[in-house]
Amino acid sequence: MKFLWGDGEQRKKELNEEIASHLQMAARDREARGESPAHASESARRELGNTGVIQDVTHDQWAWTWPEDLLQDLRYAARTLRKNPGFTIIAALTLALGIGANTAIFSLVNGVLLRPLPYAQPERLVGTTNYYPKGPLVVMRQQSRTMELVGVSDNKEFNLTGSGDPVRLIGNSVSADFFSMLGAQPAMGRTFHDGEDQPGKDQSVVLSHALWEHRFQADPNIVGRWITLEGVDREIVGVMPADFRFPSPKTELWVPLHLDPRNTGDYWGDSYMALIGRLRPGASLEQARAELKTMRPSVLAAYAWRMPDNSFVNASIVSLEEAIVGDARGKLLILLGAVSLLLLIACANVANLLLARATTREREVAVRVALGASRWRILRQLITESVLLSLLGGALGIGVAVGGLSILKATLPADTPRLADVALDGQVLAFTAVLAILTGVIFGLVPALGASKVDMTATLKSGGQRNASGGNHRASKLLVVGEVAVSMILVIAAGLLVKSLWILSGTSPGFRAERVVTARITPNEMFCEVPGRCLAFYDELLIRTRALPGVKNVAAVNGLPLGGGAEIFPGVIEAHPTPDGAKVPMFWEKIVTPDYLKIMNIPVLRGRAFTEADSGTDAQAVVIVSKTTAEHFWPGQDAVGEHFRPKWEKEWRTVVGVVGDVREFTITQNSADWIDGVIYTPYGPHAIRGSGADAPPAEMTLVIETAGEQVQIAGDLKNTVASLNDDVPVSQIGPLKNWVAEAMAEPRSISGLFAVFAGLALLLGAVGIYGVVSYSVAQRTREIGIRMALGARRQEVLLLVVGQGAKLALAGVTIGTAGGLMLTRLMSGLLYGVHATDPVTYGAVAILLMLVALAACFIPAVRAMRVDPMVALRYE
Amino acid sequence: MKQPYQNRIELLQGTLDLLILQTLRWGAQHGYGIALAIRANSGDLLQVDTGSLYPALHRLERQKLIAAEWKTSENNQRVRVYRLSGAGKKKLATERSRWAQISQAIAGILGPAGEGSEA
Repeated sequence: MKFLWGDGEQRKKELNEEIASHLQMAARDREARGESPAHASESARRELGNTGVIQDVTHDQWAWTWPEDLLQDLRYAARTLRKNPGFTIIAALTLALGIGANTAIFSLVNGVLLRPLPYAQPERLVGTTNYYPKGPLVVMRQQSRTMELVGVSDNKEFNLTGSGDPVRLIGNSVSADFFSMLGAQPAMGRTFHDGEDQPGKDQSVVLSHALWEHRFQADPNIVGRWITLEGVDREIVGVMPADFRFPSPKTELWVPLHLDPRNTGDYWGDSYMALIGRLRPGASLEQARAELKTMRPSVLAAYAWRMPDNSFVNASIVSLEEAIVGDARGKLLILLGAVSLLLLIACANVANLLLARATTREREVAVRVALGASRWRILRQLITESVLLSLLGGALGIGVAVGGLSILKATLPADTPRLADVALDGQVLAFTAVLAILTGVIFGLVPALGASKVDMTATLKSGGQRNASGGNHRASKLLVVGEVAVSMILVIAAGLLVKSLWILSGTSPGFRAERVVTARITPNEMFCEVPGRCLAFYDELLIRTRALPGVKNVAAVNGLPLGGGAEIFPGVIEAHPTPDGAKVPMFWEKIVTPDYLKIMNIPVLRGRAFTEADSGTDAQAVVIVSKTTAEHFWPGQDAVGEHFRPKWEKEWRTVVGVVGDVREFTITQNSADWIDGVIYTPYGPHAIRGSGADAPPAEMTLVIETAGEQVQIAGDLKNTVASLNDDVPVSQIGPLKNWVAEAMAEPRSISGLFAVFAGLALLLGAVGIYGVVSYSVAQRTREIGIRMALGARRQEVLLLVVGQGAKLALAGVTIGTAGGLMLTRLMSGLLYGVHATDPVTYGAVAILLMLVALAACFIPAVRAMRVDPMVALRYE
Repeated sequence: MKQPYQNRIELLQGTLDLLILQTLRWGAQHGYGIALAIRANSGDLLQVDTGSLYPALHRLERQKLIAAEWKTSENNQRVRVYRLSGAGKKKLATERSRWAQISQAIAGILGPAGEGSEA
C-alpha cells in the first residue's frame, strides 16, 4: 500500500534503527547467558525472523488501510456469494428486474425530460403556448425587445415529383432565421438567408440528412440541384446533420415561410403555426411573458377586420422544452413512480432473503466478533456484500434495460416527443450505478444492523442449536406486508388502466371500421386550382375503384376520423348571430362524397344524407351537422331547415340532415376543446375551404368497403391512380381497423407497461410470501412435530401455516388499498370510464392478491403437513 | 510473502493488543522489553512473535493508544520506548472486560463434559 501517513522515508529509517536495536539487545542477552558473540547475533536474527518482511508489514501499519480492507471485504463477499449460488442467483435476478426496469424508464425520462435540447444555449429557448398566423408573427418580430421569434409550421406534406416515383415527404415551413436562431449549422451547403421567406425569394429547400441519404443516395453534389416539391421548383441549398431533428424526427425537409401579406386569408387567418424564440441577452422569461401580453392589442389592431376581443388572451411563453414535451411529462413521471415502486418490492424481497440468511450466519458473526472484529467492521462487511450483490444485479439490469428500452420505444406511440433522443448513455449508466449502490445499502442495512448486533455470548453458548431470532423474523414479516401493500398499489393501477382500455375498446368511435380499407390520395394542391380538374379526377377514380375486384363501395373524405384532419373555419349561425368582439364559433368540416356516411355506418338521425345532386355547380349549398352540434346550436329544436354560413360568405347554407357523433379528434374526444361544431359538406364546388380557396381540397382519403376482411387492393389501387395521373402518390393503404388501433396506441402502451409492472410485482410479492412462510415452517419444524405428536391433525397444521401467510397478505392488502386510494388519484387523467377509486377493480385486485398469497403459502404448508413428528423431534 | 504474516496479525489482533496494553500499564518499555515481559509474565507460555509485535506496536501507535519516543538506554543505546496514552488506558479497561466475556463464553462451551454433546 503506497498511501502513507506523514513522512514515509523518515519512518522507514527509524523502523530500521528500532529493529536493529532489538537485535542488539537480544544478542547482548544471549551473550550474557554465555553464547559466543557471533553465535548470539546469529540466533537473535534467526529468532526475529525475516527482518525485511517485518519491516514491510510494520511499515504497512501506517498505510491508509481502507482500500485494503475494502478489497478484503470484497474478496470475502465474493466468496460468500459464490458459496450460495441459489441465493445469489435469485437475489441478483430480482434486483436485475427492479434496476433494469428503472434504468429503462429512467432513460426515457432522461431523454424526454432531463436532457437539454441539442441546440446552442438551450435554456434561453422559448415557445408560445398558442398558435399564431403569419401576420401576428411579423408584427411581434418587429416589436419584441425580449425575444427573437421565428415561426415553425406543423408537419406538412409535399409531393416530390419528377425524380423517380412520386413520393409524399414531410416538411415544415419556417422563418428564414429559424436555423440561425437555434444555432444549427448545416452539414453541407447553407441554411436560409435573411429575407428568404419573402415571396419571390423563397424557392429554396434544406434537406434532412436522412432524406439526402435515402432519396438522393447521399449525392455529394446535391447542393444547387433543383427539385419539384408540391408543383413548385425549389433549389436545394443545404443538408442538415443527422442529429438535427426539429420540430420532429419525421421532418424530411424545411422550406421558407411564404410571407405574402397580399394573400390576406392565408396571412392573417389560416396559417396558424407554433412560434419559438430565443430570449435576448438580459431578458427573462417573465419579461417575455409580460411583453407578449402588451403586444396583443397591436397584433389585433393590425388585422384588417375586427378580431374577437379575447383572441390570444390566454397565450403565454414557456421554455421550449416544456412546449415540446407538453403533457408527456405527467405520464412519464407516473411511469417512473410505478417503476420505483417495483424496485422497492425487489429491495424488500432481497432484504428478506438476507434476513433469513442472517439468522443462519449469526454464529459466523459471533465468532468474528469474538476474534476482535468491531461492530462497524462487521457492518461494513455485510453492506459490502449487499452492495456487491446489487452491483451484480445492476450489471444484469443493464441487459434487462437494453431489451426493455427497445420494446418500450417500439410500443410507445411514435408521436411521443423526443423519443429519438432516448438512449442508454453515460448519464443513464451513471444513474444505474448510483441506483444499484443505493439499493444495496438500503436492502442491506436492516439485515446488517440486526446481524451486527449479535449477542456473542448467547450465540456461542447456544452451540449447535439454531437460535430462532424473533427480531429478524418480525422485520421480515413487516417487509412482506409492505411488499404486498406496494404490489397491491401497482396491481390496482394496472387494473384501472386495463379496465379503461377495455371500456375504451368497447365504446363505438361512431363509425364502423370492419371491412373498410383506406388510402390517401395526394395530388399537388396546384393540381386542383384548375377549375374542375380535381372533381373530374376523383369522380373517375371513384368509378374505377368501385369496379376493382373485391370492392363493394367507395367514397372519399378530406380526413379520417380520429385525428385524420378536417377543414377549420369560423362560422355564423342565423339563429344566433355572434356580437362584434365575441368569440366566433369555430367548425370542423368533413368534406365527403355521397356514400361516405353509408360506408362508415354513420347513422342519419334526422333529415337526409347527401346525394350526387348536392355536388352540382348549380345545386343549393347544403350541410349536414353532427348530433352534438345540432344540440349545441339549436337546443330543443329541429336543426334541419336551419341556416348556417362560413363567416366570410353572404349566402346562407341550409342544414339538410343530422348524423351521429363521431370521434373526430381522439378515441375519447369528439372534437378539440376550441371547436364548437362538426359539419359535413359535399365534395364539390360548395366545399368550404378554411383558407378561402375556391377549389375543393386536393388531398382526399378513400374509404373502400371491401367484400371481406382480407381483400388485398393496394396494387390495383396504385395502378388505377397511376393510370389517371402518374404524378399522384398513394400512401397509407391499410384497414381502417389499424387506424383505430393506432389511435389507441397510447392508452394501450401505458396500460401494457403497467400490466407488466403489476405482473412482476405480483410475482415478487408471491416469492416474498413464499420465502417468509417456508422459512418459518423450517424454523417451526420442531414445534409442528410436537403439535402433531400431541394429536394435531394434518389439516390443522395446513391451516396454521396458510393462516399465517393469509394474515400477512391481508395486512398488506389493507394497507395497499389505503395507499391505492391515495395514489391512483394521480393517474385519473389516464383513465377513461373508470373512477380512480372504482370499487370493482379494488375488490377484484384484493381477491387476486389474496389468492396469489394463498397459493404461495401452499407449498410450505404442504411441507409442514408432511412433517414426521418422530423425525422432527429427533432432528435438533 | 506478506500473506502469512498478515493472517497471523489478524488472528492475534485482539489478544496481542490486549497483552501489549497490559504490559505497558507497569511503565514505558521498548519493543524487546515488551516481548520479554509477556514471555516472563506468562511463565514462558506465550512466545511473542516479533513478526507480529512490531506491526501491532505501530498499529496501536497509529490508533493513538500508545505513544513512542526515542530514548537512550542504560547501555547507551538509542531505543524506541512506548507508553500507554489516555485513550490506551480506556481501551485496556474495555478490552479486559470483553476478554472476561469471551473466556466465560468459551468456558461455557467447554463446560462440564457431556452437556453439549447430546443435544
